[in-house]
Amino acid sequence: MTRRILDHKILGPRKNKIVPFKWNGETYYGAEGESITAALLANDVRTLRHHERDGAPRGLYCNIGHCSECRVTVDGAQNVRACLTPVRKDMEIRRQGALPHLVKGGGDDGL
Amino acid sequence: MDYDVIIIGAGPAGLSAAGVLKDDKRVLVIDEYYHHGGRLLGQLYEESRGNWWNGMEIADELYGGLEGKVEFSLGTSVYNAEREGSLFTIYTDKGNFTARCLVAATGSKENSSPLPGWELPGVMTVGAAQVLTNFHRVAPGEAGVIIGINPLSMVIAMELGYADVEVKKICLPAANDINTATPKDALETLMGLSRSAPSKFLAFAGGVGRRLTLLHGPVLNFFPSGGVRTLGLPISIKERVVRINGTDQVESVTTIKTRADGSVIEGTEQEIVCDFVCISDGLSPVNEITSLFNLKHVYLESLGGYVPLHSEKMETEIEGLYVAGNITGIENAKVAMLQGEMAAHRILGDEAASEDTLRKINEERKNAKVKFHEDLDAGREKLQLYWLAK
Ligand SMILES: Cc1cc2nc3c(=O)[nH]c(=O)nc-3n(C[C@H](O)[C@H](O)[C@H](O)COP(=O)(O)OP(=O)(O)OC[C@H]3O[C@@H](n4cnc5c(N)ncnc54)[C@H](O)[C@@H]3O)c2cc1C
Repeated sequence: MTRRILDHKILGPRKNKIVPFKWNGETYYGAEGESITAALLANDVRTLRHHERDGAPRGLYCNIGHCSECRVTVDGAQNVRACLTPVRKDMEIRRQGALPHLVKGGGDDGL
Repeated sequence: MDYDVIIIGAGPAGLSAAGVLKDDKRVLVIDEYYHHGGRLLGQLYEESRGNWWNGMEIADELYGGLEGKVEFSLGTSVYNAEREGSLFTIYTDKGNFTARCLVAATGSKENSSPLPGWELPGVMTVGAAQVLTNFHRVAPGEAGVIIGINPLSMVIAMELGYADVEVKKICLPAANDINTATPKDALETLMGLSRSAPSKFLAFAGGVGRRLTLLHGPVLNFFPSGGVRTLGLPISIKERVVRINGTDQVESVTTIKTRADGSVIEGTEQEIVCDFVCISDGLSPVNEITSLFNLKHVYLESLGGYVPLHSEKMETEIEGLYVAGNITGIENAKVAMLQGEMAAHRILGDEAASEDTLRKINEERKNAKVKFHEDLDAGREKLQLYWLAK
């Protein structure tokens, strides 16, 4: 389980403004202005996408925009980096999945 | 021309540059993150007794002085840059902008030690855990294992503790072509920390290394194979994570004990249950933007990798193009701030302020509380020679 750190020994208490958003069509709640990665993790969601080729689960990795592991679909736009995108009220976020055909080099295993 | 100066990066370097320029130049600061501060967001440690470095507060202070005077385009990625005549064109996902001067303050990124299972959800960089814990205030998990022993991983392990997130083990990654750190390297890191110890903890961790070294020649032979626990942190330099286990997300890691020389002791595998894993293999400069120009880059390990050739006053071989912060080599945020100011003084042609800032940079380097590489000074000197010989 993950949790929000509402009280912190050094940083003190934190009050969040909670807003609803949609994750794969279901309603979740996040703190307004936090990244999508933080909002989903606070809801115990670690798998943000399934790998394009083999469908293996993937989650956030660097959380600051460098690695692109956390890409999701936001309000219809694909491959948005969840770590760089603040969650907003009623945002529609979707997990991306394995693609039927990956045209990449053309070998038998699709590599 | 849209602006006098475009600054790429709203970290300590970029914000500080903007602070110097704000009254005299039309400035645009671009950053792809949605909040100002760059890697200040998340930084939190005790510099000296009772004296805390809170990066989030510093970021707000730097930003506060700029509001209304400097334009910001946050949530904006720069994907190309060009110079034609004496004008820079910056291409972003929110349109293109032009300026006479460009400051590249794009910071640094984390290196990773790849090992089996590292793609599982729940595996992240230590920096990711830092931002989640201190900036977003969401725990990365209940209990974690940190792979990699270096200044950053030690600082962040400590930060997880402040938030009551359990760290079960801090050890090395399985050795392979890419992961080459040995117990000796780890010990040297701990010892290095003792010299620049920013906190009680680091002084202590460093003390462990120093004490052991002084007592025994072949100190590594005596380092407890189960690790040592210092202020609650289980540091184990003779243990490596060989794989990360789990079906849909991290469930555990498997470690193996090693000898002092780093060779594994068969039959000593152990499973440690955890729900997150942090990988940490140091930092390297983000030089994508400067690489777009006809500009020499120099590889210096003590600076973290390839850095654009630049003077101590942050000039590059291209007129109007300046660099500042971690793009010039991995150092702490205070140095980055001064480098940002330096770039701005050069843009304003202020000789006196440049000289003064140069002194401050050297001073800060001498007293740095967080030092990322022992040979930094030698690296800086070498770079200066390359610059003079260009
Ligand atoms: C994960 C991590 C943790 C760190 N923790 C510490 C610590 O605890 N203590 C410490 O002293 N130092 C730490 N550092 C070192 C840190 O880099 C410096 O302290 C300082 O933040 C460097 O400042 P900067 O302004 O050069 O770059 P940064 O603070 O990294 O800021 C650079 C900014 O540029 C933006 N950017 C980069 N490329 C683009 C682009 N193409 N388009 C738009 N925007 C772009 C980034 O989004 C970022 O916000 C850490 C570094 C990292 C990577």
